[in-house]
Amino acid sequence: MTRSRIFFTGVGGQGTLTATTLLARTALDAGFPVTSGEIHGMAQRGGVVESTLLVGGYKSAVIAPGEADVILGFELLETLRALPMLRRGGFVVGNSESLQPVGVCLGRECYPPLEQVLEIAKGFAARVVMAPCISLAEQAGTAKAANTVLLGAAAACGALPFTLEALARSIEKYLKPKLVEVNLKALALGAGAVAASQAA
Amino acid sequence: MGKELLSAAAGETLLLLGNEAIARGALEGGVRFVTCYPGTPSSEVPDTFFRLSQGAPYYFEYSVNEKVALEVGGGAALAGLPTLVTMKHVGVNVAADPLMTLAYVSAPGGLVLLSADDPGCHSSQNEQDNRIYARLGGLPCFEPATAQECKDMARDALLLSRRIENPVLLRTTTRINHVRGPVTVGAMPTTPAEKPFAKDPARFVPLPASARVMHVRLRALLDGLVAEADASPYNVESGAGDVGFIASGVSRNYLADVLEEDGLTGTVRLLELGMTYPLPENRIADFLGSCKKVLIVEELEPVLETEIRALAQARGIAVEICGKSEHLPRLGEFSTANVRQAVRAFLGQPAAVVDTLAVPGDLPRRPPNLCAGCPHRAAYYAVREVYGDTAVYSSDIGCYTLGFLPPFRAADFLLCMGSSISTGAGFARASGKPVVAFIGDSTFFHSGITGLIDAVAYNHDILIVILDNRTTAMTGHQPNPGVDTTIFGDNPNPVDLMGLIRACGVEPVKVNPLNHKATLAALTDLSQKHGPRVLVAEYPCPIHARRVGQAKKTLPARVAGDPVACLAVRDNLACPAFAMVDGVFSINAEQCDGCMFCVQLSPEIKPGKKEAK
Ligand code: SF4
Repeated sequence: MTRSRIFFTGVGGQGTLTATTLLARTALDAGFPVTSGEIHGMAQRGGVVESTLLVGGYKSAVIAPGEADVILGFELLETLRALPMLRRGGFVVGNSESLQPVGVCLGRECYPPLEQVLEIAKGFAARVVMAPCISLAEQAGTAKAANTVLLGAAAACGALPFTLEALARSIEKYLKPKLVEVNLKALALGAGAVAASQAA
Repeated sequence: MGKELLSAAAGETLLLLGNEAIARGALEGGVRFVTCYPGTPSSEVPDTFFRLSQGAPYYFEYSVNEKVALEVGGGAALAGLPTLVTMKHVGVNVAADPLMTLAYVSAPGGLVLLSADDPGCHSSQNEQDNRIYARLGGLPCFEPATAQECKDMARDALLLSRRIENPVLLRTTTRINHVRGPVTVGAMPTTPAEKPFAKDPARFVPLPASARVMHVRLRALLDGLVAEADASPYNVESGAGDVGFIASGVSRNYLADVLEEDGLTGTVRLLELGMTYPLPENRIADFLGSCKKVLIVEELEPVLETEIRALAQARGIAVEICGKSEHLPRLGEFSTANVRQAVRAFLGQPAAVVDTLAVPGDLPRRPPNLCAGCPHRAAYYAVREVYGDTAVYSSDIGCYTLGFLPPFRAADFLLCMGSSISTGAGFARASGKPVVAFIGDSTFFHSGITGLIDAVAYNHDILIVILDNRTTAMTGHQPNPGVDTTIFGDNPNPVDLMGLIRACGVEPVKVNPLNHKATLAALTDLSQKHGPRVLVAEYPCPIHARRVGQAKKTLPARVAGDPVACLAVRDNLACPAFAMVDGVFSINAEQCDGCMFCVQLSPEIKPGKKEAK
């Protein structure tokens, strides 16, 4: 039985929880036991949103530092912040594009560059894939589908315990009909980005 | 989750949030009456009932506060209807007065009180352990650990409550309310048998003489329920050997994963408790008797640990009992990581070394922030302009608590829901300093109004700013008594906030906070007066207005002139739509809500033009 702990992190409004639920449904349809967790409340209003998906028979929906097999980062800074959750030899699949926190905009804090994230993760993670999810989603038709781009990249690089096709089926089955086409496009663009990205 | 929560047939498996599962469980238990006050992490339970309420077999209301929710629900249970009352842990404090007598008076129709506790303070001002309320109030207590158990226990708690005619506590924690997992649903009930109310004042009216008798009855009932807890299918024993673990609630999950991953499953004894009050004494005594040493794993207070230590002493069982004092923290949430360390220490093994990546400690933070276009930001800006640091700011619970953050720093103290006016009044009386109290519309109705009445009665010198955004925004935009529109349409009977304040004895001043000049003028005027004063800053929460389809289409603002000349606006408003692109101040057209407040603060910022995008 495949066992996997997947940690999602992003910013309120990025569709992190929608992506989590979509993966949970995909895992359930694939016949895996799943448990998933999320934290609401203060996490909205532009704060950090973290959620988890544990596949293969875990009981707890919480992931502790050093336990995540996969980190799915919907925002660059949040991906960096979540790296301590990763276990050695895990996957990092992230959005290379950023959303500035207010402190950065006000000039009080510095936003870390992409290279720093790659530098830190290198050698510890088995694979690091960073894709420009927002731009690719715009290419697919709407920036809102950036979360699906990331899922496409994750599935394509083998970070998830199921295939790209299984994800496509879930998109058709669980999303509103008018959102299916653009999300399938986004999924494919995310998968395509993996081929372009260098392994770290 | 749509209507399938109502329509799913027995045996179907749904992927449910813990809170949705609780709603389904209550439905399977025959719930006919639901009251609540929303509060994270409980909110999705009432929201689910609200969403499904049209044509559903139950009455639903967002009550004005938790005390009212429990009293209205208590009345329904007295009238014979199976009832669910939901709130967050601190809400139970508000409802504590009726709660302490509810089990005396009894609940013939059945009443389950959901208390959603928040270890780790994810979205709360404290992490109190409400299992203690079960002991204090005389309520049997269930502690689910999975989405499936949320469903099953909500049902069984309601059925038990109806059978014993005593209220029951369903106690969850944040991680359980917000767990998502597969839930196999059961059958929906046919209409429950009627339990018409038969007048019996000696039973239902706790005058001192009858209250003493009721207390005797309640204790006897709870003693009798020990056998029920002993036999409960939610209290499960497994494994072998003479080393034991007892765990309840979410701690059962962490412990099970640790035992499994460390290859200990089956080689140690495990007693998992889902029905924890009354304590399944005989079951636990048997378990203790078969072990040399036992570790008790529970989050927050050592509730079970204390009771189990006492039980071992009373029954003369010689077993080593460990828990909070030896291996586990009394503060915050557990995880597999700290449970693993506790298990290892308990077994005499060296601590596990966790291999993790280190990241720089000074990463930019991303605290939650008032949204772009939030009218509270404009109100705080104006108050700051008039009072600066000369006033002391008394804050309350809601989105506007985020005014605590710089640049506004408009929260100097905060106790609980509805406290800003009364705490501010006491502070003003004691210090003689100018005090500005902030409170939201929902919070004012919840329990702020009593503070206003006190301020009028004792002429407290305080400026009260009611931030009326026409909804209960923080918990997910639930309606409150004052709103005109909910996600389900018009409210036929909105309570008139202005009239209410007037009736308390203050002539309120109303402004639109997004109109800066008018707000500033009103505040300046009020700042020169004394005694209780009320400014109502009314403008709808834009997120809510968008949801109910009332938001006006607006164009974003843009920096049209010198970006350097309007940096003060950036620094003093800190709107999330502001950005620095290549070191130059700009406004992100995607993020901007078009509230046009910043436009009023600098000639360099202008409303967007249609072709500007
Ligand atoms: S949800 Fe509404 S009230 Fe709350 S911060 Fe956002 S705009 Fe303001």
